[in-house]
Amino acid sequence: MGDFLHNTLSAGPWVLLALIPPAVVLLYFLKLKRVPLEVPSTYLWQKSIEDLHVNSIWQRLRKNLLLFLQLLLLLLIMLSLLRPGWRSTAGTKDRSIFLVDNSASMSAIDVQPTRLAEAKRRIRELIDNMGSGDKAMIIAFADGAQVVQEFTDNRRRLRERLDAIEPTDENTSLDEALKLAAGLANPGRVAFDERDIQVADAQPADLYLFTDGKFPTVANFSLGNLTPIYVPIGDPEVGNVGITAFSTRRHESKAGMLQAYAQLENNNSRDAKVTAEFYIDGELANAEQVTLAAGERQGLVFPFDSAGAARLRLELSPRDPLRVDDVAYAVVNDPRRGRVLLVTPGNSALELALATARAKELAEVETVIPAYLETETYRIAAAEGHYDLVIFDQCAAGDALPRANTLSIGRVPSSAWGDAQAVPKVANPQIIDTNRAHPIMQLVDLDTIDIAEGAILSPPAGATLLIESGAGPLAAIAPRDGFEDAVFGFEIFGKDDAGETYVNTNWPLRSSFPTFVFNMLQYLAGPADSVAGGSVRPGEPVRFRSVTGVASVDVDGPGGSRHEVKRNQQHEFQFSQTDHVGIYEIREGKNVTQRFAVNLFDSSESDIAPNPEAALQIGYVEVEGRSGWEFVRRELWKFLLLLALFVLAIEWYIYNRRIYI
Amino acid sequence: MSTVSNQPPLLTPQLMHQLERLELVTRKVFRGRMKGERRSKRQGQSVEFADYRNYVPGDDLRFIDWNLYARLDKLFLKLFLEEEDLHFYALIDNSLSMEFGAPTKLRYAQQLAAALGFIGLVKADRIRIETLGPGSHAASPIFRGRASQWRMLDYLQNIEPAGATSLVDGVKRFCIRNSGKGIVVLISDLLDKQGYEAALRCLLAQQLDIYVVHLLCDEELNPDVRGDLKLVDCEDDDVAEVTVSAPLLKRYQRTLQAFTGGAREFCARRGITYVLADNQTPVETLVAKYLRRRGLVR
Repeated sequence: MGDFLHNTLSAGPWVLLALIPPAVVLLYFLKLKRVPLEVPSTYLWQKSIEDLHVNSIWQRLRKNLLLFLQLLLLLLIMLSLLRPGWRSTAGTKDRSIFLVDNSASMSAIDVQPTRLAEAKRRIRELIDNMGSGDKAMIIAFADGAQVVQEFTDNRRRLRERLDAIEPTDENTSLDEALKLAAGLANPGRVAFDERDIQVADAQPADLYLFTDGKFPTVANFSLGNLTPIYVPIGDPEVGNVGITAFSTRRHESKAGMLQAYAQLENNNSRDAKVTAEFYIDGELANAEQVTLAAGERQGLVFPFDSAGAARLRLELSPRDPLRVDDVAYAVVNDPRRGRVLLVTPGNSALELALATARAKELAEVETVIPAYLETETYRIAAAEGHYDLVIFDQCAAGDALPRANTLSIGRVPSSAWGDAQAVPKVANPQIIDTNRAHPIMQLVDLDTIDIAEGAILSPPAGATLLIESGAGPLAAIAPRDGFEDAVFGFEIFGKDDAGETYVNTNWPLRSSFPTFVFNMLQYLAGPADSVAGGSVRPGEPVRFRSVTGVASVDVDGPGGSRHEVKRNQQHEFQFSQTDHVGIYEIREGKNVTQRFAVNLFDSSESDIAPNPEAALQIGYVEVEGRSGWEFVRRELWKFLLLLALFVLAIEWYIYNRRIYI
Repeated sequence: MSTVSNQPPLLTPQLMHQLERLELVTRKVFRGRMKGERRSKRQGQSVEFADYRNYVPGDDLRFIDWNLYARLDKLFLKLFLEEEDLHFYALIDNSLSMEFGAPTKLRYAQQLAAALGFIGLVKADRIRIETLGPGSHAASPIFRGRASQWRMLDYLQNIEPAGATSLVDGVKRFCIRNSGKGIVVLISDLLDKQGYEAALRCLLAQQLDIYVVHLLCDEELNPDVRGDLKLVDCEDDDVAEVTVSAPLLKRYQRTLQAFTGGAREFCARRGITYVLADNQTPVETLVAKYLRRRGLVR
């Protein structure tokens, strides 16, 4: 109320003013001396008055109409002296674009009820203050951007659509939202002859940016006709401790043990003491109290014994404003070994390398002779995708490559690699480069190996060279329908014309050979591209393969959501509804075969304190933060005085014309 | 005429000229007093044949129908209708309330009485002007013959408002003074707090052919008053405090309508001819149009 009225007079004038109404009433009673008028006869008048006396109260009111009008006039004048008015935002442009950040950090509750709700409230304020004909557009953005409402002057619709904006657990990126917003304000240009012209009239707009400002600087963007107004949402003093990493791996020293590794980050301006509780399948397994200095990151390790799949959860307490990064999830999938078929007439070096304890952990190897390739059993198994990796040693793959990754040693697997008979062979090829960047060749040192004879490969388009000799590629890997074929142009054990076995290379004697075999098993025979305990960020798509070779799987998300995913042409499944953090389970039939976790793990989202002093950098423009609106006072006194004037005119008219209602 | 020289004459020559062609009519046949131009109930000497009767000795031989005697050998006496004069009374309300209006109602009443009297004088009727006020001056002498017009006008000019006059008292006095039959024209505003009904009943008892000219001025028909007023009755000083408002004016109009309507109905039921006149209608129009239509003049 104090805001509604502004007193303009001091006590003295008010007292004088307050005396006027009683004076008017007094004068009104004094005035009641009637003017005598002689008439021929009061006979008719008396009769008329008698009838009117019946409803005398109303008549008296009517008689005092002038008094009431005068008092109303005084009241209006007094009211306008009190200067009633209300606070309102300064007028917006006739076109406004509201960018609403609905990323994870906007779910922070440092502003009640949440930052997103606060942003919505402020936008609603602006919508309420829109003049008629003003248009506005609403864009919600997190990792991507979405036009919630196109330009409209329908305020009810704007409010409805605004309410429909939901918080997400995604991180923040402004680029896409800005591009969407700039579409109308900065129309493209079309070149004609020597000049270029705009394709449409530019429609300048106010760009309201409701965000907590935690996103990378936007480069390469020109605001053009957009006038940016950055409204930082959130309490600048707020701090947050978040989990920025949580994953599992094998215990370094103890076989059969796993350990979960977590990283905590303190974004408070002061020390924070938190308790990290580690849950396995919903049961508290371990807890640790950590004191983090301001801005410090700290790692935590929880060793645990795991037999089979497990759902891991790490929770921080006490809870802080941003809840989403106080919980992290990880999964341990069923330890499933890759199935490897080794087709060889006999390769002691390879068999030995595949028989190591480490290799056995990764894969179970079945060794067959090349004649097995002709059997029906193999054909069915190959067509069903039973194997993860088939190694063809000293033999050709045959007509149809299996639905599996393959490794061909000394032969080309298919016609895509050129005619098998016409592969040029070189003696003693010199290895000049190995592709260390490829997972297969990581840590594989081929500098000291000798090769007696090698075939120079002509890999198909899209292949990646693994080993290059002076004469040409010796090894390469190429994709095929979602699988990969690796080809080595040189044998390990060759057979001469006489059928005698000879050693073609000294590679098996080098330490790099078992490393290569291990890499190969991991890369080609491992559960291919499986998320195997991995974690993705909200909104990121996940690709995985089925374990049992079904055509569609169900993915159960946190909160009971279920999505059916169909296999694509690459025999993969792609799932993109990873909107919320938590553990997602992949069901093939009725059984859960794989799991993956979705976590925020973004230290810039976890750093929730907005910094109003720091301007946003958009392109080359620095946009200052604005914590509030430019409030203007909308006042009523002009209307009140106009009304008073109107009342005065009516009073004058009635007085002069003596026309009463 | 001589006393109030500053006032315009009650009758202009043009009006007189107009009025000469008219005559007073009565729906009843009365016996007059003197020979006049009107058919009377009495049989007497005129050119208008009425009947025969047997001759009885002593009858005037001049009226024997000799032609009939020649044919029938009997003596019959021809009877003729007597033509007598008509008694016309103009009864003017000269109360103070008649002093209102422009021209005043009284003046208007004088003019009307003069016009009607003039018509009567021209047709050799017996004219008498009376006022409702008390006193010896209330009744005029009887005027007869055209030569009396100046005396009549002089009398009319000298009628003064006579204070509070009760309508019924004035009429009673009139009735006592004049027992003769004839036409009476009551020119009044009827604004008497005791009512006009008793007065009209008195007149009815006289078996007169009664005409009531209800004369109201503009101030009464459309009062142009504003504000908070203390209305003072000019006759009895009665006070009515009014605050003029649109509903009050509307109410006044309704009362006025009821008043005039009531008077008209009262008259209609009793065979009295009622004419509502306002002082803005010229007298000649009233006489030549409204009263002619009502059958007072022809």
